[in-house]
Amino acid sequence: VSAPVKESKGYRPGSLEILAVGLLLLIVGQRWLVGLFDDPALQTGATIFVSIVVQALPFLVLGVVLSGAIAAFVPASFWKKALPKNPALAVPVAGAAGAVLPGCECASVPVANGLMARGVAPAAALAFLLSAPAINPIVLASTFVAFPGEPMMVVARFIASLATAVIMGWLWLRFGKAKWLRIGPRDHLVGTSSWHTFRLTATHDFLHAGGFLVIGGLFAAALNVLVPQQWLAAVADQPILSVLVLALLAVILSICSEADAFVAASLTEFSLTAKLAFLVVGPMVDLKLISLQAGTFSSRFATRFAPATFVLAVLFSMLVGWWLLT
Amino acid sequence: MRRDVQAIVLILVGGAVLRITIGDTFLNYVQEAMRPWLLLSGGILVVLGVLALIDVLRKGRAADAEATPHDEPHEHDDGHGHGHGGPRAAWLLLLPVLAIFLIAPPALGAFAAARDVANSAVWDDGLTLIDRTVQMTGFVTPDPAGGWWISRMAVACCAADAIASKIKVLDAPDLPADTWVTITGRWVPGGGTKTDTAIPLVEVLTLEEVPQPRNPYE
Repeated sequence: VSAPVKESKGYRPGSLEILAVGLLLLIVGQRWLVGLFDDPALQTGATIFVSIVVQALPFLVLGVVLSGAIAAFVPASFWKKALPKNPALAVPVAGAAGAVLPGCECASVPVANGLMARGVAPAAALAFLLSAPAINPIVLASTFVAFPGEPMMVVARFIASLATAVIMGWLWLRFGKAKWLRIGPRDHLVGTSSWHTFRLTATHDFLHAGGFLVIGGLFAAALNVLVPQQWLAAVADQPILSVLVLALLAVILSICSEADAFVAASLTEFSLTAKLAFLVVGPMVDLKLISLQAGTFSSRFATRFAPATFVLAVLFSMLVGWWLLT
Repeated sequence: MRRDVQAIVLILVGGAVLRITIGDTFLNYVQEAMRPWLLLSGGILVVLGVLALIDVLRKGRAADAEATPHDEPHEHDDGHGHGHGGPRAAWLLLLPVLAIFLIAPPALGAFAAARDVANSAVWDDGLTLIDRTVQMTGFVTPDPAGGWWISRMAVACCAADAIASKIKVLDAPDLPADTWVTITGRWVPGGGTKTDTAIPLVEVLTLEEVPQPRNPYE
């Protein structure tokens, strides 16, 4: 036990007392609080914030239930058999495995974390983390529906996303450092039975990731309300700039990967390649995801991994866009 | 964060999700199709929270019986800024709970519709609408150039991806922003068709104030 933790064990009001007093104050001050939110911009921001959290929660719960199940019921030996021993081969296999797990990006962070804790090579787990929300069947189907008459959009999304995920996995093999990942021993999450371990892991992962989902949702809602949409219209006909702008917009909006195709389709002034960048970047790099990754793996990891993924995703979108969509 | 507080946070988050899903409030935020998933995930969170609370109470009783605080050495820092498996960021989960219970943010309205420049195409081609009356329900969005648009937000997944459809109404009395109305009207040439930023024009024949529909989005 490190020193600062010991010091804080002197007198302090317990978190239960803080919670009780805080809730009491809030209930007493509710009228005043609601008055604060009379402003339409704040109200719109609050609606978008709650929407992002409510939309993401079921997927996050699905993710922590899966990560709990991986920790409690799947023996570590299973992964040794299922994945090639050579990590360089395990990366594309794990990336392609992302095509079968329906769920959005919020679910894949705790799952990837659970895989690493069970001894899966981090590079393979990271390839899975990136590809699962981008190329799963639900996402591809919604892309197909959102772009009637443009079936190549689905193919382009699949190829560009899978390529980004696999190359990122290989880059991690070559340049990644284990100390950037904080997988940590999870002894304190081993319970008295498999079921107990499952509960402890799912609870821990939810509390952890949930807080960071909230941070991401707050930023996304604020920017959603603050960035004037006229800025977008102004750059729509610049070939390269428009790709970068939609890629950045995907980062800011933090839309669930199952819905982003409909938003991309609505940005009608932009080229198909720019929309493709929006669809490839969004599920791999966005504000809530960066926040989740920083919380789960460490901020040292997120500040390296997210920008590198962003650059690769934009490059592959441009390449595949010019190949398939023009 | 202590284990008992963790359990309460889980119950509060799960309870908030169930609270909006058992009524129709969740339709202000997400699509109807999310209902079973919200009920399931809210239920899972409440169950996890209740079981964690039972764990804490049992352990507390056991510790009382032994009269030795055996629990303490268990509290260790696992290297990511939290002992006991309860990260500080988990406190933030109370924010959406508070927003839902105390503020209850309303469905997106005139503010969101007015700032949306990418008006989703309402009609592909006005020609088929000549001499037809159309009926529509939406909310009043003041046009900065005077008068108002009748608007409706279309949501694919959640309110963060909402796109507005706007129609400019002519010959209508001024109404406050966000008033829900049903109008019948006649399509008037000169507004936009086909392009997505153009706003069509409709001349109002009848206008009736209505309550907000159960699902405020399309």
